[in-house]
Amino acid sequence: MFEFLFKYPASVFSKGTLVLAGGWPVWLLIVAVLAAGGTLAYFVQRSTSARVKGGRSAVVWLLQTLLASLLLLMIWHPALSVATLRPQQNIVAIVVDDSSSMAVDDAGSGSRKNAAVNLLNSGLVKQLQEKFQVRLYKLSDTLVRLPAYDKGGLDTLTASGTATHIGDSLKQVLADAASLPIGAVVLLSDGADNSGGIDLETISEVRRQRIPVHTIGFGREKMAHDVEMTGVETPPRALPDSRLSATVTFHQHGYAGQKAKVLIKDGGKVLASHDIVFKGDGVEQTENILFNAGPVGVKAIEVGIDPLSGEENQRNNKLTRLVNVDKRTPRILYMEGEPRWEFKFLRRAVEDDQSIHLATILRTTQNKIYVQDDHADAPKSIKDGFPIRIDDLFEFDGLILGSVDAPYFTATQQQMMKDFVDRRGGGLLFLGGKEALADGGYARSVLNDVLPVKLPDKKNTFVRDPATVELTAQGRESLITRLDEDPEKNTERWKKLPYLMNFQDPGQPKPGAVVLMDAIPTSGGRLPLLTIQNYGRGRTAVYATAGSWRRRMLLPLADKAHEMFYSQLLRWLVNDTPRRLMASTPRQMLNDESLLKLRADVRDKAFLPAADATVEAHILGDGVVETVAMRPDALDAGVYMAEWTVPKPGSYVVEVTAHRGVEDLGRDVMSFRRDDGVAENFHVEQNRELLEKLSSETGGRYYKPEDAKKLGKDISYSEAGITVRETRDLWDMPVIFLLLLMLRSGEWLLRRRWGVI
Amino acid sequence: MVTTWGALRAQLQLPRPFREYPGYEYNNFPIPADYLDKHEWTRARLHYSSPFNVHGVYPPDNRNRWTVDYPRSDRHLLEGVRRLTRIDTKSVEQPVDLDGEDDVYNWPFMYAVEVGYWNLSDAEAQQLREYLLRGGFFMCDDFHGTVEWENFMAGMRKVFPERPVVDLDNKDPIFHVLYDLEDRFQVPGMQWTYPPHHMYEYDGYVPRWEGIYDDKGRVMVAICHNMDLGDAWENSDDPVYPEKFASLAYRIAMNYFVYDLSH
Repeated sequence: MFEFLFKYPASVFSKGTLVLAGGWPVWLLIVAVLAAGGTLAYFVQRSTSARVKGGRSAVVWLLQTLLASLLLLMIWHPALSVATLRPQQNIVAIVVDDSSSMAVDDAGSGSRKNAAVNLLNSGLVKQLQEKFQVRLYKLSDTLVRLPAYDKGGLDTLTASGTATHIGDSLKQVLADAASLPIGAVVLLSDGADNSGGIDLETISEVRRQRIPVHTIGFGREKMAHDVEMTGVETPPRALPDSRLSATVTFHQHGYAGQKAKVLIKDGGKVLASHDIVFKGDGVEQTENILFNAGPVGVKAIEVGIDPLSGEENQRNNKLTRLVNVDKRTPRILYMEGEPRWEFKFLRRAVEDDQSIHLATILRTTQNKIYVQDDHADAPKSIKDGFPIRIDDLFEFDGLILGSVDAPYFTATQQQMMKDFVDRRGGGLLFLGGKEALADGGYARSVLNDVLPVKLPDKKNTFVRDPATVELTAQGRESLITRLDEDPEKNTERWKKLPYLMNFQDPGQPKPGAVVLMDAIPTSGGRLPLLTIQNYGRGRTAVYATAGSWRRRMLLPLADKAHEMFYSQLLRWLVNDTPRRLMASTPRQMLNDESLLKLRADVRDKAFLPAADATVEAHILGDGVVETVAMRPDALDAGVYMAEWTVPKPGSYVVEVTAHRGVEDLGRDVMSFRRDDGVAENFHVEQNRELLEKLSSETGGRYYKPEDAKKLGKDISYSEAGITVRETRDLWDMPVIFLLLLMLRSGEWLLRRRWGVI
Repeated sequence: MVTTWGALRAQLQLPRPFREYPGYEYNNFPIPADYLDKHEWTRARLHYSSPFNVHGVYPPDNRNRWTVDYPRSDRHLLEGVRRLTRIDTKSVEQPVDLDGEDDVYNWPFMYAVEVGYWNLSDAEAQQLREYLLRGGFFMCDDFHGTVEWENFMAGMRKVFPERPVVDLDNKDPIFHVLYDLEDRFQVPGMQWTYPPHHMYEYDGYVPRWEGIYDDKGRVMVAICHNMDLGDAWENSDDPVYPEKFASLAYRIAMNYFVYDLSH
């Protein structure tokens, strides 16, 4: 209809520029229109008919003026100036998505790939070949040029590519365009890109070269029955037998309100099972599921939902993540200023935790200490008391300060403890006590900076009165406070635990700190009980009581709430404490990707950045042994980077080593895995939004397959390749004659209605 | 108000308030002025029943055996704790019962005197076992000779039929945690101050430092047999009682207390 009324397709108007081909100046047209309007006003005013007065005469004047203006405009010869591709001198690149998502059978007449081939064979290619040279390409993780259409180029399509990288493929087309007159790109795809989308750089480059990308979308835009796992987040490293949290995100279509189970497995062994109820169709749903990391080793944690009845795509129901369960035992030094029950029962709480090495120093009298550390790896630096050298203190991963006042430590030792958190990245836990926190003079210590609370400016904050415990909203989500897998039961469990024997007013939490528990004294009020925060490279916490030991004595022997809480708290304290060399990668699971990015953070004994180290990554895989030199990062001292192309799918281990001369700066081991054929199982619906955006950003147009026949006409209008600028007359558009007729007949009808004629 | 406090105490399982019982020897021993002050620690004294005429003498000497030396011994000892250690202790002891209630679990260090006279019921033994396995510590003292030992063991076998009583090794941390106490000797009761100045009572000639260990190799029951530390603490302010006995008694107690609070 548009083309009938306006003579040309809409794309001509969108790409063309309006010009007046008559050669007379525009100002003259304006003057002529004004003159015509004035003359008509005069004659209408002089009209003798009493029935055409006032508002009616204005309407008549308006209709006549519009008619005159339109006629004058036609005399000025309006036209469109538009760039068109020179016939047979330009190339049209036809890019067909050959990834495995194109094999999905939802295109009505077979797979998406078949639908695309059928469309091209139904005359589209022939139509294009009449005006242009046609080049065929297939797209998956790379772009490959196909044989000519007449030589069966489309027969090589198999819809078996392991990934869809539209952006990268466009870049390759642009590279060809540098030496070839490519006038337009036609992309036949489902838009199921799995490279993270098309980057702005690629879009900008396409726009700079003015190559319109026309897209033809295949496949359903929404599955009727499908569950898709869209994300799983797990910590990359963990201590043995740690309780971990997996944040699982998924959505579904067609199963709203239905129940299902999310299973977390390690090599077929079910680690956790979590009941869910699906929310509305397409709603992104997130669940936090706890599981046990298990013993030392690299764990391929598979998170999935068992296929449901009638599910159309069952290959997108699970995701795999790697968790390195490290063989290490972080050291924690607990300095206690007085023999007391919390000391005894805290030690007992973690004595069976093989992943925590707790060394303690206890002030038994004014001038005696009692050191306990029977671990095989016990450092000798504490046999005479709290470390006085920073290297000795930095041998530990965590610190606990009990009821020991700040002046017990020298100013140097206090500064060392601050550096322990800030620079070394250790964890520091303050317990309540009669010589702790505000009562211990910490408000006047440099350690005041690292505290997660603003200490009250008063004494006698430690109170030996009972208090119950209540989890805060953040506490209900925290792994530290999780005694029961079920969040509701966990909250109730804390309320019912035996009361604390004492509590301390720690002041108010500082900005950025998180309160996980409140103490509810029986005398009334509410105080922060467990407050945590990150500080520098480390973390600090205040547990403002020395009376939780009572849980161990009041609860039955089989109830391990006391042990579980302290174990989780101390693991949190040290789990992320870095070693002198820490290797990492942004993605341990390379799904249909081959580029591994490695990063190593290297520190010396004092945990200062080691900017002059020699750092190497030794990569070991199935039949692969390679050493990669890591280069220093220009912006971040002590950080070393490397990139390596993973040659084939499989599991790999990387040992990163660092040395400075003969000094060994440490080593770290991590793992990663490359899996191919995974990405195409996800996001298989047609991503129309991406295809439309790509077209609109590049001056092209999105087509449904049934509308693609229009492409033959639209594609000629391009400013890329070899073009010629054409002028298309507009004066003879049917719509103009229709308009003239409407104006004139409109006046006649009005006059008749008013009884003038 | 009493009802409200009682209900709250029952709901929260609050510790029972301090109470003084009639003593075997003392009934008007002064209560310290700060006896209601709240502190971290105190030593609980086990209130047990002693119906047996253990030695078959007449008239039977079995009334309130659990209060022997009480409370003078306790008050002296707790003053010593304040002076000799950094333990924040109350000035008064806490009598406790194995009565099936939870109160005893609020006092993880328990002392019993003259346990040669005790008569633990099965229920009491079961609660003492639970108390110890949860982390409590039991120290007993001032029982002498074969007869009292057998009576004590009759009760202790109900508590731990599967765990042996063993001699505490000189190298055990319990003898080194605060003072090095490898050279120990018999601490006699007040009878030493009277002729014929016997160090022992009945046939308890040799002091025995024994104990029962938990599964982690920690002492949870410390048995002081054939000695009378209680008298030593009780009479430590009496010039006729030798300082060397009182001194050792205090040092043993301090070591046991600190050992418990650190193990």
